[in-house]
Amino acid sequence: MKKVIALLMAVIFMCLGFAGCGKKDPAKDVENIKKAGKIVIGITDFAPMDYKENGEWVGFDADMAKEFAEYLGVEVEFQEITWEQKINEINGYKIDCVWNGMTLTDEVKEGMSCSVPYCINSQVVVVNKDVADKYQTAEACKELKFAVEAGSAGEEMAKENGFEYTAVTDMATALMEVKSGKSDAAIIDSLMAGAMIGEGTSYEELTYTAKLNNEEYGVGFRKGSNLVDEFNKFLEEKTKDGTVQNIATKYGVQEALVK
Amino acid sequence: MTFAEQFTIVLQALNEGFLQTLKLFIITLLGALPLGLVVSLGSMSRFKPISAVVKTFVWVIRGTPLMLQLMIIYYGCSIWSGGEDGRFAASAVAFIINYSCYFSEIYRGGIQGVPVGQQEAGQVLGMSKKQIFFKVTLLQMIKRIVPPMSNEIITLVKDTSLARIIALQEIIWAGFSFMKGSNGIAGQVWPLFFTGIYYLAFSGVLTILFNKIEKKLSYFKV
Amino acid sequence: MSKNEKALLEVKNIRKSFGKTEVLKGIDFTMGKGEVVAIIGSSGSGKTTLLRCLNFLETPDVGTISLDEKVIFDAENHKKLSDSEIRSNRLHFGLVFQSFNLFPQYNVKRNLTLAAELLEFEKIKNGSSQYKEKKDAVDAISKKADELLVQVGLLEKEKSYPCELSGGQQQRVAIARALALEPEVLCFDEPTSALDPELTGEVLKVIRELKNTNKTMIVVTHEMEFAKNVADTIIYMADGVIEEMGPSQEVFENPKSEKLKSFLKSSFEKL
Repeated sequence: MKKVIALLMAVIFMCLGFAGCGKKDPAKDVENIKKAGKIVIGITDFAPMDYKENGEWVGFDADMAKEFAEYLGVEVEFQEITWEQKINEINGYKIDCVWNGMTLTDEVKEGMSCSVPYCINSQVVVVNKDVADKYQTAEACKELKFAVEAGSAGEEMAKENGFEYTAVTDMATALMEVKSGKSDAAIIDSLMAGAMIGEGTSYEELTYTAKLNNEEYGVGFRKGSNLVDEFNKFLEEKTKDGTVQNIATKYGVQEALVK
Repeated sequence: MTFAEQFTIVLQALNEGFLQTLKLFIITLLGALPLGLVVSLGSMSRFKPISAVVKTFVWVIRGTPLMLQLMIIYYGCSIWSGGEDGRFAASAVAFIINYSCYFSEIYRGGIQGVPVGQQEAGQVLGMSKKQIFFKVTLLQMIKRIVPPMSNEIITLVKDTSLARIIALQEIIWAGFSFMKGSNGIAGQVWPLFFTGIYYLAFSGVLTILFNKIEKKLSYFKV
Repeated sequence: MSKNEKALLEVKNIRKSFGKTEVLKGIDFTMGKGEVVAIIGSSGSGKTTLLRCLNFLETPDVGTISLDEKVIFDAENHKKLSDSEIRSNRLHFGLVFQSFNLFPQYNVKRNLTLAAELLEFEKIKNGSSQYKEKKDAVDAISKKADELLVQVGLLEKEKSYPCELSGGQQQRVAIARALALEPEVLCFDEPTSALDPELTGEVLKVIRELKNTNKTMIVVTHEMEFAKNVADTIIYMADGVIEEMGPSQEVFENPKSEKLKSFLKSSFEKL
C-alpha cells in the first residue's frame, strides 16, 4: 500500500512539475506583448471571420486583428488552434487571445476575460430544403433529431429548447450529419450559415429556418489580462472613425455589428 | 470550383500535412529507438532504485493516453512557443518519450529472450563479453525484436495524428479542414478519406520493408 | 587415477552456496591425463554445479583447482584476476551442454570456427600467434574444423544451420565445437538428456570414440550402462559431497555406501 501511495505521489509531482514551469502575470500582457513585438491570435479556419486567401489570413476578425496589432505597435501572428483547446492555449501562453467569431457563452466567460461584444449573431436551425416549410419555429422543431457542435452555443440552445441531440466535434460535422441524413437538423451560427450553406456551397440542399436566440461575439483574453481594456479602447476608437464599418462591409457582416 | 481545381488545392494541403506527419514519424524514431534502449537497460538495472524509478516512469507513460501527455507537455510547459515550430517540438518530445517506453519493453523482451545458454556457450569458448554480445546475442535479439517492433512502428504512423490535439497541422488536420471549410472548400469528406490512402501507402511501404528484414533473418530459428 | 602417476586435474575442497543452500560441500578429487570420469547421482546432488565450477560458469566460494600442478583457480584471490586471465584459464576446459547451445545464426562450420578465429585474431594482434596473417589462421582453423566434422560424421552438414539438424546431430556439432579449442579436459553436462532415446546412441558413440583418442573427459550422465562401459572412474555424488569414488567396475559391482546401492538399484530398475 505504501508503495502504491509513493508511486501516486511521484506521478502527481511529475504533473505539477510540468505545470509549474514558467509563470507569467496576465496583468502585464500588454507590456509582455510589446516586449515580444508580436501578438499571437488564436483562430480556426472560419469564413467569413478568419480564412486563408493566397496563403494569407483574411476575414473580418483577421483584418480587425491586424488593425489591433498596428494599434499596439506590434506584429500580428495567426495561429490555428484546436477549438476545444482554446482555454488551454490561452492559459499556456501559446496564444494571446481567441478572436474567431467566438460566442460569449457562460463557459467562455468563465474561462477567459472577454471584450465587449462586437457582433450580434444568432443560432439557427438547419434542415433540408424540402422540409423547411414545416420547421419555421422552435416549437415545430421539437420532433427533430439534432446534431450540434459539442460545447458550442448551439448545444446550449438545444438543451434550452429541450431538443433531442447528438453532440459532434464541430459545426461541419453537424452539417454533414444533416446532409447524410443521420440527423434531421443542426444548429449553427447564422453568420456561418450564411457563408456555408445554400446555393453555390457544398450544402446546397440545406437551408436555415428558426432563429433560436440572439448572441454576442467577443474576443477572449487570459483571465485578468490587461489586454481587455486595451482592446475595448481600440474598438471604441475604430468604431468611431469608421474602420470597423468598412471592414465589416468588405466581408458582408455589417448587419451583425453592434451599433 | 471544378473538382480538378479542388483536387489540386486538397492535394497540396494534404502533401504539406503529410510532410509534417512524416517529419514527426522520423524524428520520433530517431529519438525513441536509442532512448528506448537506455530505458530498457534502466528498467533491467541491478541497482534497485534506478529500475524502480524507470519502471514507474514506463508504467505512467504506458498507462496514460498519449493525447493527455501531448496536452500536458505542450500546454503545461511554457518553453514551447505558440507557433508551428513550438507545437512540433512539443509533439516530438511527447512522442519520443511515449514511444521509447513502448520500445523499451520490446528491447527488454528481446534481450531477456535470448537463452542464457547462448552466453554461457560463448563464455566456455573463451569469448569476451563484448564478443559474446556482438557475435552471438545481438543478432538473436534483433530477430526477436523485429516483429513486435514493426507492429509498434506501424502504430506510430497512425498515432502521429494525435498531435492535432495541440494543433499540429499534420495530414488529418489538413484533410479535416476541408470539412470545416478552408480555401473555399467546405463540407467535403473525401479529402479526409483521401488521407487514408497516404497512411495505407506509408504503412504498406513499411510493412514490405519489415517483411524483407524478417525474411532476411528467417534462415535461423531462435 | 589409474593410468598416470601424475594428476592432470586436482580439485581441492570446492564449496559453493546459492543463497542459504550449500550445493557443494567440499569436493576433492584428482584425475589423470586420458582418464574418463563419469559423475553420477540423483538430480540436485550438485554434479552439474561441480561441472559448471570447473568451467568457471560458477565461482566456487572456497577451494582450488589445479591443472598440471598449476593453480588455475583459487577462491582466495579469484577476484584479483582480470577478465582476460579468467578467459585464458577457462580455455583449459571445454563444455558440452545438455541443450547443445549452438549459435543458431551460424552454420555448422561457423559454429566451430567462430571462437577459434576470434582468439587467434587477438593473438595475432598482440603478436603471440604462430600465424602472421589472419588469412593463414583462418585457413588452419577451417582445416581443423573439417577434420573435427569428419570425426563426428557431419562433414556433409557443414553448411547447414542448427535448426536444420536433429538433436543428435546438433549435439555432435556441439562436441566438435568444444574440441575445436583443444581443451585439456572436455566436460559433458548430461549430453543425452535432451535427446529422444533413439538419438542418444550416435552421441554416446562419438564420446566413446573420443576415449580411444585418449581425450581426458568428465561426463555427468544418467546413462548407467554408458558410464559403466566407458568411464575409467565413477564419482557418485549425493547431497553436495562425493559419496563414493572408484574404478568403474568396482563401483558398479561392489558399491560400498548404502546410498549408492539404492541409487544403482533404482537406476537399473528404470531400464
